[in-house]
Formats: sequence, structure tokens, C-alpha cells
Amino acid sequence: MIDTPTVDWLALSPTIALLAAAGVALLSALLAGWMRKSVAGIAALLGFVGAAVCAGVVFDESSTPEVLLEGTMVRDQLAALAQLVLGVTGAVVVLASWSERRRENHAEYYALLATAGAGMVFFVGADNLMTLFLGLEWFSLCLYILVAIDSERETSLEAGLKYLIVGGFGSSVLLFGSALVYGATSELSFPAIAAADASNDAFLYAGLAMILAGLAFKVSAAPFHMWTPDVYQGSPTSITGFMAAATKTAAFVVTLRVLVTAFPAQEDLWTVTVAVLAAISLVWGNLGALAQRDLKRILAYSSISHAGFMLMAIAAFSDRGAEALLYYLIPYSAMSVGAFAVVAARERELNAPVTLDSLAGMGWERPYYGVALWIFMLGMAGFPLTGGMFGKLFVFSAAYDAGDWWLVLLGVAATAVSLGYYLNVVRWLYMRSGAELRLAPAGGSPPRDPALGIAISASVVVTVGSFFVVQPILDVASDAAGSLPF
Amino acid sequence: MMDGPDVGWYLIVAAILFGIGALGVMLRRSPLIVLLSLEIMLNAANLTLIAFARQQGDLDGQIFALAVMAVAAAEVAIGLGLIVAMARRRMLLDVDQASALRG
Repeated sequence: MIDTPTVDWLALSPTIALLAAAGVALLSALLAGWMRKSVAGIAALLGFVGAAVCAGVVFDESSTPEVLLEGTMVRDQLAALAQLVLGVTGAVVVLASWSERRRENHAEYYALLATAGAGMVFFVGADNLMTLFLGLEWFSLCLYILVAIDSERETSLEAGLKYLIVGGFGSSVLLFGSALVYGATSELSFPAIAAADASNDAFLYAGLAMILAGLAFKVSAAPFHMWTPDVYQGSPTSITGFMAAATKTAAFVVTLRVLVTAFPAQEDLWTVTVAVLAAISLVWGNLGALAQRDLKRILAYSSISHAGFMLMAIAAFSDRGAEALLYYLIPYSAMSVGAFAVVAARERELNAPVTLDSLAGMGWERPYYGVALWIFMLGMAGFPLTGGMFGKLFVFSAAYDAGDWWLVLLGVAATAVSLGYYLNVVRWLYMRSGAELRLAPAGGSPPRDPALGIAISASVVVTVGSFFVVQPILDVASDAAGSLPF
Repeated sequence: MMDGPDVGWYLIVAAILFGIGALGVMLRRSPLIVLLSLEIMLNAANLTLIAFARQQGDLDGQIFALAVMAVAAAEVAIGLGLIVAMARRRMLLDVDQASALRG
């Protein structure tokens, strides 16, 4: 009789829900053409909703963190909150991609989307360098294919190859760093690494730096961001939204967890490094966005600058910083998925990439989507009446408490610069007068798309709602931050 | 008890391999060679893991290395698939020329 570790099925339930959905979606490739899309899409939708529900139950059940599976995973409220955000984001992305014009590959598309979601949901519960690497590769490999899935478009293939090369480079660096940390401490699990106390080992410092660099590739923090604009522009728009919201959520939560649980003794070193990365991302993201004309590239640079804000929260190394990060992720995910869904709507009616010029007049032609886009833009800029404002405020106050006042000044300056491109998008929405109105020439107006409408409405509700129910969300975020040892 | 060269030598070889791989990813133009270089980087990390596992008499590193091999195989399968798709569309197989997306 072999001793097997006891498995906590509740903790794994979000992952299992998504994997089951992926299996059903993949099997639907065998069905007749007209059933394939709805079966695969509904399976993926149910999978993401199921994952979110399971995550809610896990959140409720795990007021004290519990280590699972021989110390490779952890069940705590931090992971559960991230899984909840990921599940809801994924469900909205499924709705947004419902009427995307694709050839025959609906089943593969939704199966990969659900598998990527399962990987992220697994990744945020990682408590060990091995599960960290495996979770990271799990969702990254799915995303490489999803980025390139529109293989009839050369830009999609090019984006896929670029993402694969740069992403693979980033994960190799992360892996080598993990190997060095393992060498220095002979431990893989995060708390054991912290307890090993190998502070004077050069391998540990080199390993920490390489792990940080590998994760910085995934959160697209400058100077590890160079893939972001190209990949965001080339991939199918719904997938871009998924990468902007879900990949960032997962990677930021894990970055926070690794740094806080495995390397608290090296705190003086990594807080400075993270603060510098934040500063570079803020400067580079905002200045880069000013020069762009393509809406997806503008949003890509804006996501780099948001990575800067979120890194500020991590650099604070306090429970207030963790709370600020977790709060920030909620309106940020909603705004990015929503903004990319509006881009997808425009793209479908034009059948061409959306630049500022081709955006002109959308505010008159599609008043609802226009208003939604300006809500997202103002939210990203941090205007009141959107959760974006409190997100920035909490991040700034956490950074100020940690003594990073120069970073706060830079953040305020970056916010001011960012108005230049966010408001520019809003201005272009209404650039054509009513007299010049004509619907886009892609074979008449597109079919009605209620799923996309629901996706955009849900994003608007979260963006605006997170402003009005800020205290409950903050309480949840502070519970989640409480599962980390500050 | 470990026979053969000291663990330091393995680490030196691994570091050299990692450097060769990283330079290959950054300098070579053919996507096939770039994929090959990525594999070299991953295997350099594997060698490090195994060397440390042997030095410390701990199996975790070896298990990790086995898992990495599976991941590396999956990654290269996806990469080759992309390259085949690009070749079918008669796109130029040169990463320096892949510049439809830029700015």
C-alpha cells in the first residue's frame, strides 16, 4: 500500500471546473457545424462561471491558509479572490468572443480559453517553485496558440511567434532563477525558502533577480514589455482583452505571493528593484501610448503603465499595498476587458484594424458602446465615479506610507500625461459630425450581438460599481491580503 | 557521496549553455534556431536543477527537471506548429523580417 497525499478537492474545484469545461468544448469539435459553436461556447461560459462560484465558496471556507498536496499548493483567500476575478473575467471574454468571425475552430478556441483559465486559476494557488513554473507554462502555452489562432491573418501568426519566443525566454529565465534558489536553499516551497535563511548566498540573490525578471515579462513591466504592443495588436481582440486582464491578475498575485512569502528577508533588495521597474513602466508606458494611432497599441501601452501602478503597490511591501493591488485589479480587469470588447465591436463592423481614424464617429453611430468606451477610458485615467480613481488613490497612499514619495510624484505625473491619450480616444469617438454619418462599409451593419452587449454592460457595471461599493471590496481585499505573512 | 567532477563544474557548463541559448535567441534570425536556443536555455536550467539535486541528495530537483522536459516538448511543438503555419502561407522565415507589427 502506497501512501498517497490527501487531496483537497475543494481547493482544486475551480481548476477542475475549467478543465471539465475545456474537455466538453474540445469534444464538441465532433458535433455538426451548427451545434459546435454554441456547445463549445456555453461549456466555456459555464466553466468560468463555475470556477468563479467555486472560488467564492473557497474564499468563504478558508479563513486560515491551508497548505495542500505536500506543500506544493496553498488554499487561502488571496488565491480564492484572484480565482474569482479570473473566473468572472473569463466569462466576460467568452461572451465578448461569441460572434467573432472565425472559420471552423470554435471548439479549439473555447477549449484553449478554458484551459488557459484553468492554468491561471492553478497558478495563483502555487506555493512551490515547481507549481509556479508549471502553472505559468500551462496558461502561457495555451495563450501562444490562442494568439495565433486566426492563422489566416499573417499578423496573428507573427504575434504568436513573437509571444512564444519572448514568453519562452522569460520562462527560461524564471526557471534558471528557480534552479539557483533551489541550489542555495535546497528547498522548493516558498515558506521553506524563507525559513532556510541563506541570506548570504550569491545564488539566492541571482535566483531572486531572475525570478523577478521572468515574472516581469509576464506582467509586461518595462523594460521587459517589448512584446506587449505587437502581441496585443496581432492577436484576436477578445484574447487581447483576456491577456490584459487575466494574465496580469494571475501574474501580479503570484509575484506578490512569491516575494512576500519566499523572500521576506531580502526585502530591502527587491522593494527597490520593484520600485525601479514601476517607475520605468510608468514613464515608458505613458510616453509610448502618446505616439500610437492603433487603438489596440494604445491600450497595450496603457496596460504597461497600469503594470507600473500595480508594481508600486507591491514595492510598498505592506498589507496596505497588497490590499491596494487586489482592489486595483478588479476595476482594471473590468476596464480592459470592456475596452477591448468595444474595440472588437468596431473591428467586426469595419472588418479592419481599429485606429483613431476609423474610430471617428463611433460615438454617434453606436451611442451605447461609445459611452461605455469613454467610461473605460476615464476609469483608466482615474476619474471619479469609476473604481479606477480609488485604485490609484490606494496605491499612492500605500506607496507614500512605505516612503516611496518619489514614486507617488511620478505616478501623479504619469496620470496627468495619460490624460493626453485617454481623452484623445474619447475625442476621436465624436470626431465626425452628424452630417457625415455613414455606417461602416463591411457589408452593411453587423448582425445584432447581444452577447457582446452583455459583456460590455457587465464591464461597465464593475467599473462604476467598484466606486460605489468600495468599502465591501476593500474588506474582501484586506481579508485576502491577510493570508500573506506581513 | 558523489563521484566524478564537483558540482561547480556542472554549474559552469549550465551557465555557459544558458548564455549560448540566450545569445542564440537574441542574435539568430531563423525561428527554428531561435526555438532550438530556447530549448538550450531550458536544458541549462535542467542541468542546474539536477546538479543541485545530486549535491544535496534531494529528489525534488530531479522531479522538477522531469516536469520541465515535458513542458519544453510542448513548447517546441507549438513553436514548430506556428513555423509550419507561417511556411504554408509563404511568410518569410526570418525573425528580423517579421515586422508587420511595429511602432
